[in-house]
Amino acid sequence: MFIVWKNIYIFFLLLVTIFVGCKKISTDNNTQVVIAIPSDIERINPLFSYSVNEGNISELLFLSLVKHSWDDKTGDIKTEPMLANSWEWNSDSSAITLELRNDVHWSDGVLVTIDDVIFSFDVYSDPVVESYLYGSFKCFYTNNDNHIIAERTFEKISETKLKINFAPGSTPSLFTLDFPIVPKHVFDKMPRKEIATAKENFSPVTSGPFTLEKWEKNQAIIIKENPKSFLHKDGNVKRIIFKVIPDYNARLTQLKNGEVDLAEYLKPEDVNGLKNTGSLVVTSLKGREYDYLGWNNLDPVQFKKNHKIVPNKLFGSAKVRQALSMAINRNEILSEYLQGYGELANSPISPIFKNAIDEKLQPYVFDLAKVKTLLAEEGWIDKDQNGILEKNGVEFNFTLTISSNNPRRIFAATVFKNTFKQLGIEMNIEQLELGMLIDRINNKSVDAWMASWIIPIPLDLKFSWYSNLATTPMNFPSYQNKELDALLDKLETKISWQQKNEIYKKIEAILYRDQPVTFLYWIDNIVAYNKKIKNIEVTPLGTVHHCWLWQ
Amino acid sequence: MKSSALFLSLIKRLTTSVFVLFLTVSFLFVLVRIAPGDPSQKFLSPNLSPQLVERVKSSFQLDKQIHEQYISFLKNALTGDFGVSYSFHRPVNEVIAEVLPFTILFSLSAFILQLIGGLLFAVLAFRYHQKFWDKFLSRGSLFLYAVPSFVSGLFFVYLFSVQLQIFPSSGIKTVGTLENNYFFLLLDYAHHLFLPVLVLSLTGLPVYFKYFRENFEENQNKLFTLYLRANGISERKILFSHLIPNSLNSIIAYAGVDLGILFSGALITEVIFSLPGMGRLAVGAILQRDYPLIIGCTLTAGVLIILTSLLADLIRLKIDKRLIKGLLN
Amino acid sequence: MKRIRFSVFHFFFFLLLITIGLRLPLLGETAILLISYIALLITDFRTALDQFSLSMADYFCSFLLIIAIPLFLFLKRNNLFLPKNFSFSHYTLSVLLYTFLFAPVITNDNYEFQKDISVTRLLPPFSSIHVLHLKSNTEKSGRLNDFLSLKNNVVKNSFDEKIIFFDSLQITQSGVFYFQNERGNGLPLSSIEMVDGKPYISIKFFLLGSDEFGRDIFTRIIYGTRISLLIGFCAVILSLIIGVVLGFLAGFSGGVTDILLSRLTDMFLSFPIIFFIILILAFFGNSFISVIVVLGFSGWMSLFRIVKGEILSLKTKDYFITARQLGLSGTKLLLKEALPIIAIPVIVNTVFQFGNVVLSESALSFLGLGIGNEFPSWGGMINSGQEYLSQAWWMILFPGAAIILTLVTVNDFGRKLAQYFNPRLHE
Repeated sequence: MFIVWKNIYIFFLLLVTIFVGCKKISTDNNTQVVIAIPSDIERINPLFSYSVNEGNISELLFLSLVKHSWDDKTGDIKTEPMLANSWEWNSDSSAITLELRNDVHWSDGVLVTIDDVIFSFDVYSDPVVESYLYGSFKCFYTNNDNHIIAERTFEKISETKLKINFAPGSTPSLFTLDFPIVPKHVFDKMPRKEIATAKENFSPVTSGPFTLEKWEKNQAIIIKENPKSFLHKDGNVKRIIFKVIPDYNARLTQLKNGEVDLAEYLKPEDVNGLKNTGSLVVTSLKGREYDYLGWNNLDPVQFKKNHKIVPNKLFGSAKVRQALSMAINRNEILSEYLQGYGELANSPISPIFKNAIDEKLQPYVFDLAKVKTLLAEEGWIDKDQNGILEKNGVEFNFTLTISSNNPRRIFAATVFKNTFKQLGIEMNIEQLELGMLIDRINNKSVDAWMASWIIPIPLDLKFSWYSNLATTPMNFPSYQNKELDALLDKLETKISWQQKNEIYKKIEAILYRDQPVTFLYWIDNIVAYNKKIKNIEVTPLGTVHHCWLWQ
Repeated sequence: MKSSALFLSLIKRLTTSVFVLFLTVSFLFVLVRIAPGDPSQKFLSPNLSPQLVERVKSSFQLDKQIHEQYISFLKNALTGDFGVSYSFHRPVNEVIAEVLPFTILFSLSAFILQLIGGLLFAVLAFRYHQKFWDKFLSRGSLFLYAVPSFVSGLFFVYLFSVQLQIFPSSGIKTVGTLENNYFFLLLDYAHHLFLPVLVLSLTGLPVYFKYFRENFEENQNKLFTLYLRANGISERKILFSHLIPNSLNSIIAYAGVDLGILFSGALITEVIFSLPGMGRLAVGAILQRDYPLIIGCTLTAGVLIILTSLLADLIRLKIDKRLIKGLLN
Repeated sequence: MKRIRFSVFHFFFFLLLITIGLRLPLLGETAILLISYIALLITDFRTALDQFSLSMADYFCSFLLIIAIPLFLFLKRNNLFLPKNFSFSHYTLSVLLYTFLFAPVITNDNYEFQKDISVTRLLPPFSSIHVLHLKSNTEKSGRLNDFLSLKNNVVKNSFDEKIIFFDSLQITQSGVFYFQNERGNGLPLSSIEMVDGKPYISIKFFLLGSDEFGRDIFTRIIYGTRISLLIGFCAVILSLIIGVVLGFLAGFSGGVTDILLSRLTDMFLSFPIIFFIILILAFFGNSFISVIVVLGFSGWMSLFRIVKGEILSLKTKDYFITARQLGLSGTKLLLKEALPIIAIPVIVNTVFQFGNVVLSESALSFLGLGIGNEFPSWGGMINSGQEYLSQAWWMILFPGAAIILTLVTVNDFGRKLAQYFNPRLHE
């Protein structure tokens, strides 16, 4: 029997030596960058870049007509040439003439031409394709189904000159031209409906400064430099590996031990540990995302019954909402959970838009005594002394619905719940899986919820704050204000930059006053990257951006 | 004659299994569709008009009545087409085929480890019957059996990945290595899979240990053992030639089902070590409301469970001819 | 005279005595509160109803039980049903049961209590934190207010405006200056509770450390015992009812019913049940009730098979056939003949099922699909601890140990039970 025992021993010894023996497998040197992403992308086709990572990767593989970068001084974007070498606006800016580069080739050798550009506009706006930009070509001549009418829009002046006519009365900007151009010769030969499932979405024909080297599903997307590209420069980064690491702790560990060179959305409490490694630069990307506590401004029961709009018993009054905003200790979350990586929010207008923001607006201060008086003025008093406020026989209790996989919001909700209880407000927390939460918010059947908005650049407020609930499904709190509508409408007319900023300030004041939702805080996206990466710019437009400039 | 009857009874069993599987899939098909929530939700950008929303839904075939959807699903399923996954935009078959080999590799190694480990420890315990090792192993297995894999998994990650940094805490291989040496790649896989396989096998090991040990114990006092012992056959020979083969029978029946369940995903372990396995695929499909993939995963799991238990039965029949009689009755 | 052996009964008694000794003041106050509440009920029924809360009832129950159980045990000590011999699982089982019953008295803290997170978060085990007490406002007198202050004393709230946790303190002439995580704040002396001309400072002790909200982990584990065991009990009872009823149906009626039910069972067994559970919880929402229902509905198959098997074999037994021919009614057959036979395997299986449910519940909570964070659950605690794996091992270790202890106990108990009923299995 002794033999058996020895065998076990040898067996384990073998295991241990094998595994300890291959402790570290060296990854390559200084010319490649490994970027950690939490989940694999679905396909590489800019038409369908619904997710941020897909957008980032397709932006590196496909060129756009122009590129945008962030100007920190003015707090606005600036446009630079890309596929289009130069451009010229008409005197009344109803048309633009583009001069295209003639030295850009697709990865299969075909030249990038004006036909590709026209085709791209066509296919992006084609309802059959269901591209992620569908419906956003409002400045163009379009059919009823938002499909761009190519004949009226495009005039091919020469092989490299293209004139684009915009719809009358629209306010076009170069931003509407900034999307990756797709190859006509690849997608033209298949029916439009099948583009979404085409095999070319996994082995794309590209035009950018990088080409796809390998895509190991659920493991990594590897792109390498394209020496033929005009953006190529010797000495810059040669390979970028997008490594799929779903687990946060694993991303963190690998970032620390150098297996990963760049990771985003890091947690504030890990910042010190990351800085201590000495090999990492920790910075943050500010002002793109804010958390808010949504109050259902209308009565969910009445709305469900007959779509009648009746003010909510609890949150229908602006004063109650103001009181609730004051009852929330945002600073505690900011310092304890976000560890200072964020700032208090007053409105949906981000502080990065330096000219649009009203700096005189002071955030609501956490003040329980004031909350009590405000609520008492509105009639919410604890008459029967059971610890819960009531008004006309209705007790102040409601359910806060949050998604079950966001630790930050679970943290905040738990803290809020406790403060509310102290005030005599009974708040239950319901955690729902994201799909169900969205469903309920859409049906307007929740009392209150916590979620976040990622703000678009350039600023767009109408899609979530316009009063008409039928055309504005994203107006989740169902806040309705005629004054605000007028201002939002005015933004869409031809007005000067200064006037625009004045209007933004007015909008801000209204939303701040009425608190249709409690704007909580702007959340920094904490980014850490290896010091070996040089020339990286972390701007509100993103981190994985213009990577061909990295060294 | 006997073999044809056997064949018939196997066929009968298989048809029942397939029928049950059909019921399961139909049940799930209806269940996911009557549930609240809408899979097209995440594909709808804020600027979409209501008409386009309808169009997206129709591309998922969600605008039709349930029975129409069901009939078209059955028609396609008969030809082996389970539709296109909503979230992967590829045929469900392809998505599953990509994940399955890894899952089988992963769970098979855990399975073998727990089987062999269980047997070795049982032999050890049997050898030192009622002595320290036996008691130690019995108590230890009781304890081990009660340790949930998310506790042991996190413990190992904390110890080996966070503190000692010997093993990686996630993934199945180092990404971006330029190495093409097969031996090297194999080592890399092994290095990544060591902790997950260990964690996965730790939950099953005590079960096999218990099975083997109880079987040894039971047969130990049977007449045939006493007879062999009386004839002066060495303990070692009794154990290896008689006790172990005798105990295999009941264990294989259990192992068949166990392996099937392992194949269909070791969810918790996959989550902790973020491995691309069937379990996470299925749960991801559920959370994303990827209806075709949910059905596909369930079906795959069902088929695997049926196949492995069938395989187990065939092996048992091969080992022990007496069982044929039992099966025929 | 019989020699007195140390038994589980003594152990339980011992635990009770310790608790009573340690919590005597609390128990006294609870008694007064109970009396004044009864008085309030008689004099002013409506107000009393308004004042009623589940946590207060919890305290009352614990109080009454802590008095009643020793008395009962003492009076009935001669024919105790409790096993007399010494065994690990008996002790752990009594500890679990004890925590389940007397949670409020054991911890005397609210499991959601949080305050000054910057000072109290992620404290390691055996930490203690200094507490500054603020002067309470001028007490209002009156019956109701007296009652309220008494109630607040006994039933702990999840908040306390009257205390401040701090790291360090500076006393100056006019007031105090306290620091919380390097942020300073001043307070006038007049607003602080004083003893002998100095600010009154007490200490709050965190036995097993604190979590990310500064909540006491010990308290949460104690209350988590309740949640886990409660979910286990409820789900197991549900499975028991479904399994036994369907098993009877299939066993007795046979034919089509049997085939249908057996196929249904096969269906549930034909794919990993955890996916089914996750699917239901993800699609229909997860809450305390839904977790119980889903776990109950997913665990009846083994019971069904056992009951059906037993009934089928029973049907061929002579005495049963005789009883049937004698004309015993269905109910009588069921109660008198069938139940006693199936009770033993069913009970044993139920115990193991209980362990499975506790494990499943914590696994679900770990995956974020458990009962939510309304109540503390062990799996949920581990799930939130996973976020802080590298900083706070105690957030995982202690709830993990609680789960392991419970499962070892339940499995061992089930094994012992099986041995007890089936002596053939004796080692």
